[in-house]
Amino acid sequence: MGEFKVHRVRFFNYIPSGIRCVAYNNQSNRLAVSRTDGTVEIYNLSANYFQEKVGCEDGSVKLFQITPDKIQFERNFDRQKSRILSLCWHPSGTHVAAGSIDYISVFDVKSGSAVHKMLVDRQYMGVSKRKCIIWGVAFLSDGTVISVDSAGKVQFWDSATGTLVKNHLIANADVQSIAVSDQEDSFVVGTAEGTVFHFQLVSVTSNSSEKQWVRTKPFQHHTHDVRAVAHSPTALISGGTDTHLVIRPLMEKVEVKNYDAALRKITFPHRRLISCSKKRQLLLFQFTHHLELWRLGSTVATGKNGDTLPLSRNADHLLHLKTKGPENIICSCISPCGSWIAYSTTSRFFLYRLNYEHDNISLQRVSKMPAFLRSALQILFSEDSTKLFVASNQGSLHVIRLLEGSFKHLHTFQPQSGTVESMCLLAVSPDGNWLASSGTSAGVHVYNIKHLKLHCTVPSYNFPVTALAIAPNTNNLVIAHSDQQVFEYSIPDKQYTEWSRTIQKQGFHYLWLQRDTPITHISFHPKRPMHILLHDAYMFCIIDKSLPLPNDKTLLYNPLPPTKESDVIRRRTAHAFKISKIYKPLLFMDLLDERTLVAVERPLDDIIAQLPPPIKKKKFGT
Amino acid sequence: MVQLRPRASRIPASAMVDEGQPPSEEEEEAEHGLLLGQPSSGAAAEPLEEEDEEGDDELDDEAPEELTFASAQAEAREEERRVRESVRRDKTLLKEKRKRREELFIEQKKRKLLPDNILEKLTTAGPTNIKKPSGKLKEANLQKKKEEYEKGSDSKNAKEKVQKVQSVGQNKSYVALRLKDQDLRDARQQAAKAFIQNSLYGPGTNRTTINKFLSLENKRLPVKKAAAQFLNNAWGTQKKQNAKRFKRRWMVRKMKTSK
Repeated sequence: MGEFKVHRVRFFNYIPSGIRCVAYNNQSNRLAVSRTDGTVEIYNLSANYFQEKVGCEDGSVKLFQITPDKIQFERNFDRQKSRILSLCWHPSGTHVAAGSIDYISVFDVKSGSAVHKMLVDRQYMGVSKRKCIIWGVAFLSDGTVISVDSAGKVQFWDSATGTLVKNHLIANADVQSIAVSDQEDSFVVGTAEGTVFHFQLVSVTSNSSEKQWVRTKPFQHHTHDVRAVAHSPTALISGGTDTHLVIRPLMEKVEVKNYDAALRKITFPHRRLISCSKKRQLLLFQFTHHLELWRLGSTVATGKNGDTLPLSRNADHLLHLKTKGPENIICSCISPCGSWIAYSTTSRFFLYRLNYEHDNISLQRVSKMPAFLRSALQILFSEDSTKLFVASNQGSLHVIRLLEGSFKHLHTFQPQSGTVESMCLLAVSPDGNWLASSGTSAGVHVYNIKHLKLHCTVPSYNFPVTALAIAPNTNNLVIAHSDQQVFEYSIPDKQYTEWSRTIQKQGFHYLWLQRDTPITHISFHPKRPMHILLHDAYMFCIIDKSLPLPNDKTLLYNPLPPTKESDVIRRRTAHAFKISKIYKPLLFMDLLDERTLVAVERPLDDIIAQLPPPIKKKKFGT
Repeated sequence: MVQLRPRASRIPASAMVDEGQPPSEEEEEAEHGLLLGQPSSGAAAEPLEEEDEEGDDELDDEAPEELTFASAQAEAREEERRVRESVRRDKTLLKEKRKRREELFIEQKKRKLLPDNILEKLTTAGPTNIKKPSGKLKEANLQKKKEEYEKGSDSKNAKEKVQKVQSVGQNKSYVALRLKDQDLRDARQQAAKAFIQNSLYGPGTNRTTINKFLSLENKRLPVKKAAAQFLNNAWGTQKKQNAKRFKRRWMVRKMKTSK
């Protein structure tokens, strides 16, 4: 495999923002998640929980105060006294339940007047000075209103009579969210302590037809407030201030009990936030409102396997570039030579030129971007840094030639057949002839840059593409999909390579297919054409195409072969997938030159250390 | 014989007819002194600070001047009229000044407003569309006549709508917005955010720091470990950097002062 020096980077201060709201769509089996910084993410739950789209609004957090926007409600002056914090429609659309501070009102939509006003106790069986805030209400079709409040109670009310039917005290802190399933026989609530409770409608005794609501399962997967929950037919989804999205399939609803029925916890984004300039050893970090440019440290020491070498020069924070305006940054890129930086927000595109003299760095903005270059889904520079490729959100692909201080628009590839996908990945070959783009549902298109026309299209696959790269010399296009399949397609021959056909016939190792984070980056060794380096959040792997493929019986995760073992054993267990889990969680890994790797990690502890305060838990003995 | 000594400094209270304005008072007093018969020349014209005894002898042979009531009355009336005139003049002067200033302000205000034709169009168009404004509007800084809009908006204030007046002129590339409504909306948004923040993280909530939360486990282990912030080197790097910088600066300052 070779020996490498690894730059282990942990100064990327990436903090995902808390999840505020979650909504589930049954028809398309997709989940929409909104975060506190205004980004909306769409997860495709059937494509292995792949994060399809990250949309950015103008960065403003939504108004929490909800007032009905109908003129009828003006007649009810109660509305002015205290805020309405939660609303729910009756499934038939005739009534609305609104949760406020210390009371719940049920409104009749036609007349606009409040039918009932139910007063909520401030504390379970007691009095309290603090007002009780109703964080969530749910209206069932039989007229039951379920409310969750800040005193930790879940209450069932009868909306016909306006009385309390049942009272459950489930937590010492606020219960902040509630979601009811479509069949209305179960619902899920999330608390501020991080616990998620599942309530189900079960019959009183095994034969009777009378049913009652019973709290069945508690789940503790979060450390901070659970601000949003959703209920899909087979799973409970929760998200909160600790930025994880947890999907817990319900065992009784899942038909096939295989690895799919396990808990999924999504923490890291499914796309790259880091780009690298290999020549100058620079890393560009993308945050929501600014970019940071760092130069890697260097060392002159040498050592053997497993040593940590001391740095002779520390990593340097070269540039901190803030965006103008409230919009979030969608994508960014730095050119391989390190002289150009480009990034895009939802409405504007920015291009900067960097000049290095000795140790100083100066930045110059290239003004007057063309009108068609508005919002880009993906930006990529060519290997020799003379061309810029921009995939716009309308599906077209722009090729721009970069000159000394300006640019010239060369060509635009119009969107091809097939619907425009929400995410687009680009890859360019090191010799500058080919450009691959995965922007449409028709498959991956490969364009010839020298002649500026479409060369071929890789047949489409029903799972989205998560990573794309073109190998040097051989010009093989390597594609990774969200179901952990990896394909290799030869661009000059316009067909899949032999190796790709072999592995498709044999199939990947079952442990490889059970990984739950997608592959986000693929790169190659300049001197070893048989090697492919790829990584996901918890491992990185070098695929050696010359070695035999593993079948399901062999050990996938080989430990480092100790030199003491005999050659025979080593030869028997050697297979093509060399996986290492030393560096995790990995956000980015790439080959800087023949003997150096860079790995950007983001330890979970560092993220937790910067979150808002959680609820106090009292434990005996502390 | 009793000598009548002129005392010009005495304030004659009863003889005052007017409101008692100082300039006229002095005038009257001076004249009063003259009326009392202070001779303008001669030995008696010496300053009044002199001893009384010396002046007495010289004024012995002269009889005090005769003063009829009618003449005194005429004089007093004359005096009053003069004073009244002067006051009236002052008042008119002030009024004019004020009027001129008002006109100047109106002029300036008019200059700040939009040209008349646009204002006319706005007032005739009236509040036609009532919907939330989109993000890409150009907000013109208006100072409209607020009376009409006040009445219209107060009744609908509770609904938090922004009155958007459309169709301004031939080019419909911008829409006029009342900044007052925008401020109101922003204030409410801030209040709502502050309410949520307060109810979740404010006083009375049972919150603790991340350090304490993560250190609970460490405290209950059979071999007790330190708190999470001491075990994790990356904790509070910003604070540590600030502390280092402060220490360096403090040392430099100490060196400078101790020299």
